[in-house]
Amino acid sequence: MALLDVPNLFHSLPLAELEVGKQFYWHVGNFNLHGQVFIVSWFVIGLLLIAAVLGSRSTQMVPTGFQNFMEYALEFIRDLAKNQIGEKDYRPWVPFVGTLFLFIFVSNWSGALVPWKLVHLPEGELAAPTSDINTTIALALLTSLAYFYAGFSKKGLGYFGNYVQPVAFMLPFKIIEDFTKPLSLSFRLFGNILADELVVGVLVLLVPLFIPLPVMALGLFTSAIQALIFATLAAAYIGEAMEDHGEGHEEH
Amino acid sequence: MMHWTILLAAEAAEAAGEKGGLFDIDATMPLMAIQFLVLVVLLNLLFYKPLGKVLDDRSAYIRNNQADAQERLSKAENLAKQYEKDLTDTRRQAQAVVAEAEAEAQKIAAQQIAAAQAEAQAQREQAQQELDRQKQEAMQSLEQQVDSLSRQILDKLLGAAG
Repeated sequence: MALLDVPNLFHSLPLAELEVGKQFYWHVGNFNLHGQVFIVSWFVIGLLLIAAVLGSRSTQMVPTGFQNFMEYALEFIRDLAKNQIGEKDYRPWVPFVGTLFLFIFVSNWSGALVPWKLVHLPEGELAAPTSDINTTIALALLTSLAYFYAGFSKKGLGYFGNYVQPVAFMLPFKIIEDFTKPLSLSFRLFGNILADELVVGVLVLLVPLFIPLPVMALGLFTSAIQALIFATLAAAYIGEAMEDHGEGHEEH
Repeated sequence: MMHWTILLAAEAAEAAGEKGGLFDIDATMPLMAIQFLVLVVLLNLLFYKPLGKVLDDRSAYIRNNQADAQERLSKAENLAKQYEKDLTDTRRQAQAVVAEAEAEAQKIAAQQIAAAQAEAQAQREQAQQELDRQKQEAMQSLEQQVDSLSRQILDKLLGAAG
């Protein structure tokens, strides 16, 4: 189907082969699941949980070792949320935004750093969960729900006032925005990570040694940036939904 | 090699149409969302809450200590200022005392000098008077002697003549 084994030319050689769009299906009831995505995402989740437990196992006033590292991560996430959402409201959103960042970041890097090719699946291959469109759409839709929830819980029905701010003819654009936001979030992440893995895969296929290394390093960089972008945008959308407009300022 | 990359694009496009492929959206998506929410809850319990509490406690501790230290510093500064003021006062008082003592001493010295001068003056005058008196006396006795001598001369002259 979508298996891309280079015909005849490389068949005899034990070189890498490239697969695109091939899934390792699990059938649960009437549903199809992408097994390879879940396997790697469980690995990522396990890694995050282990790190969390190690970091907060025996907390001390003066941090040492791993606690120090995890505190650094937490402060980074808090700063990110605080910058986008604002000092007043950011605290309840730290877990969501932070988990977005950590999950995407660890997923991306696990896709780039762990040699998943050594694990053979009957079909498809293991890769970063974020290189599957289902994962990125799930995260983007959760982000949309999160900012709607943030807006409604903060302002009630007054949230719809956001749609006519600052002028009424913004209404159609604002409505379109609600659709483009999750679309751009999911496709940006999906496209970047998949493209990175494909470029590395193609280069490895063409020149197996050394040449792909700079692209791999670039891939690590892009992966980190994509995680940061996703989390920052999610926080920015949430912050935007909770932002005070006109009347809000006069009440204070 | 070129036809190979074209193949790649073609495969990807073709894949989208069938089962599987890049844009194969199925039950993975909602399950992944649920899984992610579970991860949010777990990390909130294991990571954000405990470590966040540590961070907040620490910043509160540092803030308290800093406020405390600030207070003590201002107290110490006030004390230092007070001491400085006391020191200046004391120094001024000491100077006043010294100046007073100096003035006193000067006055006493002036008095004594004046007294000594007056005494010397008096003594000199007394000596002068003594001198004058003795001169007078000497003059008088001289005069008497002149008188008696002149009378003797006269007697002798008269006696010789008479």
